Amino acid sequence: MAFFLGIDIGSGYSKAVVCEDQTLISHAVMPSGGDYRESARRVAETALSKINISMNQVVYTVAAGYGATMVNFADKTSTDISCHAKGVHHLFPDVRTVIDIGTQYSRAISLDNNGSVVNFIMNEKCAGGSGKFLQIIARILHMDVNDIGSLSLTATKPVEFTTACAVFAESEAVSRISEGALPADILAGLHNAMASKITTLITRIGLTPDFAVTGGGAKDIGLVKAIETELEKSVLTTDEPHITAALGAALLASESL
Amino acid sequence: MKKYFAGVDIGSTMTKVVIIGDSIEATIIGPTGPEHRKLANKVMEDALVKAHLAFEDLTYIVATGYGRINVPFADRQITEITCHAKGLHYLLPTVKTIVDIGGQDSKGIKIKDGRVNNFVMNDKCAAGTGRFLEVIADSLNVPLEKLGEISISAERAAEISSTCTVFAEHEVTNQLANGESVANLIAGVHMSVATRVSSLVKKLQIEKDIAITGGGAKNIGLVRALEEKFGCPVLVPPEPLITGALGAAIMGKEIYEKFSREGQTPTRSGRGLEEARFFS
Repeated sequence: MAFFLGIDIGSGYSKAVVCEDQTLISHAVMPSGGDYRESARRVAETALSKINISMNQVVYTVAAGYGATMVNFADKTSTDISCHAKGVHHLFPDVRTVIDIGTQYSRAISLDNNGSVVNFIMNEKCAGGSGKFLQIIARILHMDVNDIGSLSLTATKPVEFTTACAVFAESEAVSRISEGALPADILAGLHNAMASKITTLITRIGLTPDFAVTGGGAKDIGLVKAIETELEKSVLTTDEPHITAALGAALLASESL
Repeated sequence: MKKYFAGVDIGSTMTKVVIIGDSIEATIIGPTGPEHRKLANKVMEDALVKAHLAFEDLTYIVATGYGRINVPFADRQITEITCHAKGLHYLLPTVKTIVDIGGQDSKGIKIKDGRVNNFVMNDKCAAGTGRFLEVIADSLNVPLEKLGEISISAERAAEISSTCTVFAEHEVTNQLANGESVANLIAGVHMSVATRVSSLVKKLQIEKDIAITGGGAKNIGLVRALEEKFGCPVLVPPEPLITGALGAAIMGKEIYEKFSREGQTPTRSGRGLEEARFFS
């Protein structure tokens, strides 16, 4: 039995997963902050200390993500796209289309039945489909970003937004609030605007079931439901969608010996 | 008796009124607030005072711009594209391509024989609009109207790789923290807006002369950046905010004259300033 470590340093959050052989036994998620080296060390130590093992007991470490090269204790780096694919395939072997919503991007990845990446489309040019948009919405409503999903589901009259531009939608939301629209209806409207933007990506890559939503955006149940409505398909999520790529990295580590 | 015509342009950020007789009699510019109707009345009253006229002296009133339906006393509503082309053609008859950078949109308009030949517009994304400049000015704590002046002293334009306003704002903050100068950053931001706007306008067959209108035209740094992108000088009308309102007033005059030639008078809205105030 051996321990393997997967690290995913995103622009918003750092994630670590510890696997014992191919089984996930611990994980940690924390904001990346300004110093990726330090965040990598801290997130790895947090995940390891939860199960009382030390860094020396880790056999192999793979790092992925935006700040992968900053993880100086990694044995290897890999792209977050392939780690993502690996993580998703491990959790849901039937998934062929992954929608990954990160802090500064959204992307669609198509997989074959071995879990290998066939193609991917990335939107990192526009905040409209990214987790950043969710943070902006939460801020103007004075809410925690983790609470907006469930409130959005209680909407009865979702507000219609004319654009999915995060900047324009923010001022539109502020106007609607001043006209008395309810926070739930605003949230549902914004989730719909985001979902339509994200669905465009998925449509471009091909609508092959099963679908899974991963990344921090998948923690927002309001957004996930809006994507399901827009796609007219059901989508899979996990309890900890943030750690999908870190899991893939840990699995890759276990295969690297 | 001399006839007077008024054009009211309610933009997302600024409201403008122009009164014309034989030439321009008065122009007024004020910020657009949440209550368009009240504002349209107020700005119109100010313009009338400036022109030494009463509301009854106006023969025909045309409203234009994004808030044009909220001008109860207007006799007719005409789109800002048409009015812009009309107003600019009056001021600068040699212009064939107009670049308009407003508070929440940007447009390219082609003029042929004084009329709109074609146009492109972006109002879906804040990049390439005045809003982008506003967001950056806010985060740098620099007044919007100072951006142009400050950018002129830049040694070079800082590279801003993000198109998106949200991401560019982060980039600017990071570069500032890494020691980049405010002037270089603003010059970089102007280049970013110019790149975005020129790629929009280049969808039209660009022909010289090129003029820039809207609030963006008041920013000398942005005008210079656009000149660099287009590779030729860009004309700026003396008061670049009023072309839409001026065009609206001229359209009003032309409508009136067309009816007169046929021995008729155009139908008026029948609403005055007082009434409008009552309903607001």
